[in-house]
Amino acid sequence: MFSSYIENPTNCRFEGQDPDEKIFLLLRAHPITNLGWITAAIVIFFVPFIAARFLPIFNLDLETIPQTFEILFLIVNYLVVLIIVFEGFLQWYFNVIIVTEKNIVDVDFHSLLFKNIDMAPLRNVEDTSSSMGGILQSIFHYGDVFIQTAGTSKNIDLLDVPRPHHVADFILDLTHNIHSKGGNHASHHPV
Amino acid sequence: MPVTIPSNPFEFESIRILLKAAILIILVLYAIFALVVVRQVNLMSQTLITKVSPVLKALSLLNVGFAVGLIVLVWGIL
Repeated sequence: MFSSYIENPTNCRFEGQDPDEKIFLLLRAHPITNLGWITAAIVIFFVPFIAARFLPIFNLDLETIPQTFEILFLIVNYLVVLIIVFEGFLQWYFNVIIVTEKNIVDVDFHSLLFKNIDMAPLRNVEDTSSSMGGILQSIFHYGDVFIQTAGTSKNIDLLDVPRPHHVADFILDLTHNIHSKGGNHASHHPV
Repeated sequence: MPVTIPSNPFEFESIRILLKAAILIILVLYAIFALVVVRQVNLMSQTLITKVSPVLKALSLLNVGFAVGLIVLVWGIL
């Protein structure tokens, strides 16, 4: 359910999916890419404890602050933590790439209310390439997949996906199957 | 007659009112933001339909309730 690489996902549908359209692959950014907001949330979580220790340095005494204000500062602080965690999770969970038997669908939610869906038919895929570089990507085995499409269709970039070489190979195999059979069913799955 | 100036800024009524207003403004902004998040979760849940979507919707509504409740609480206790 919270994985970033799901083959043949069940109990999952997307907007615009045909009734007979089967999802082969559901991808999200690798969980380690969430490290930024998780770190921020942890730091802000501990701010009240750190502030209590450092207040005497600035000649401020905690005793002088009324208790109601102390509690409210704490509540506002943890509201910030709550919203960072919730927004971070939403952004990770709903920014997905879906590979179906017909299309590649890239769902992006850039900001609060901005939605962008790129959809490319598999038969238009001409070439795929994958790249993986840097310490984190090498350790956790994730990277980018670039899908070049024919004609005026927009190219699709899948960023920070797990197992990028497998994903690139998988999409290309599906495309080859579609071209060779002239149909819409592919059976090959990455190892 | 000598005028005594309190050393604790929280003893000034004007500062307390100013802080109360500031906290209330922050909480009102947070409540508006929480409403936007509800809309965002709805939008996201319509795009990708999974089993988790109802839970996230419930959490976002709970967040709005919490934000509104907090405004009422702050208005009362400060």
